[in-house]
Amino acid sequence: MSDLTPAGRGATGVPDPATGRPARAGGAQARPGLAARQAALVDALTRGAPVPAGFDARRVEIARVALLRKRAGEVARHWPMMAAGLGPGWLPAFSAWAAARPTRGSLRDGWDLARELLARRTLPEMAAPELAVREATLRYDIGGLRPRRAPAVRRVAGSVAVQAAGRVTVFRVPERPAGRTR
Amino acid sequence: MTAARTPYGVGIGWRPEIAGFVAGLPGLRFAEVVAESVPDDGELPAGLDDLLGRGVAVVPHGVRLSLGGAEPVQPERIDHLARAAARLHAPLVSEHIAFVRAAGVEAGHLLPLPRTWEAIDAVVANVRRTRERLPVPLALEPIAAIFDWPDDELDEGAFLTEILERTDALLLLDVANVYANAVNRGTDPAALLDEIPLERVAYVHVAGGAEHDGVYHDTHTDAVPRAVLDLVTQLCERHRPPALMLERDGAYPPAAALRAELDAIAAASGFVAVT
Repeated sequence: MSDLTPAGRGATGVPDPATGRPARAGGAQARPGLAARQAALVDALTRGAPVPAGFDARRVEIARVALLRKRAGEVARHWPMMAAGLGPGWLPAFSAWAAARPTRGSLRDGWDLARELLARRTLPEMAAPELAVREATLRYDIGGLRPRRAPAVRRVAGSVAVQAAGRVTVFRVPERPAGRTR
Repeated sequence: MTAARTPYGVGIGWRPEIAGFVAGLPGLRFAEVVAESVPDDGELPAGLDDLLGRGVAVVPHGVRLSLGGAEPVQPERIDHLARAAARLHAPLVSEHIAFVRAAGVEAGHLLPLPRTWEAIDAVVANVRRTRERLPVPLALEPIAAIFDWPDDELDEGAFLTEILERTDALLLLDVANVYANAVNRGTDPAALLDEIPLERVAYVHVAGGAEHDGVYHDTHTDAVPRAVLDLVTQLCERHRPPALMLERDGAYPPAAALRAELDAIAAASGFVAVT
């Protein structure tokens, strides 16, 4: 962390770049290639994998938590009713869900979380119409999210979204015993 | 490279949430837009067209290319950036010296590279692939890093200078990143200014941040600290870049506070106020 100082530069034996790059061996230990090292770091930050050797584990943990906070904010922009409905519980709920799941895009991440909360019956009531509208207007496919061409009716808890020709209307209906998306 | 010579003065990062505020800046001549938010076709986001009509230079700023990734940069991402540049008639585009994915897994954020010769080779190769498909010059932005890799072979100044010399790219210098890295490494922020080719600076980012747990976070959602404005002054005393812009990405303050930040950047750099 201190190698910007002249002392640090001298102590680590970093060559003057003006003299050209050092021989590949350069006194360094043999190590995995850049691709493998980058993948290991991303796994530590997004999948709960161990922090690779040599890193400052405390700093990497601070970065991991900051990354989850940033992701939570981005997902909240796509799913404002879910985030607002959970209020102060939004960041902990999102972080717990996302800690071992790398992002697949903010819209998709929020969708997966909303479905999971619905299945656990912990999706806030005010977020049900938001999920119903997404289910009725977008197709959730492996390849990505695409608008539905065909008309669709989707029920989420006490909210029913009816979509035809891209226009969607949401109705309130009496709750069924088990909240399901369809 | 006219982009590096035309003095644009103080600009701002255009975001949909502050489009009305940006539209109301009478002296504005420079703005930046997140490249991934510019659609390939169809209508531009409301407000961007008006800026272009006023003659404001709008630069697409990529965040997903992963130029520092060990894998080759994806051609479709370059082509999107190229189309954004064409649609905006941009004088240049910018991206980061960072990686954002590895082995198909998205990090969700800009991650630092090891400052090694191997990483330099990866960046240089990806910048070359990118420039081949771009209609305009590319400026590279060094990022703020909360942690460093354990086995750096070069210091930051040498690392950046080597990349710029081998790619012939322009530099997008983020003084808030320079400040953040210096605070988090316990070094002097101004020292880096004497180690990198300031004549290559195409434009400058100025942003806010906050300290938590003894670590400075470059949040873009907090006020610009005095120390970052002081660094703007120190930079401009050495070599004033053609444009400096406020980068704000959320928790938008009232218009008066945004105006005050733009005016503070003007005062720190010696450019005229755009508000």
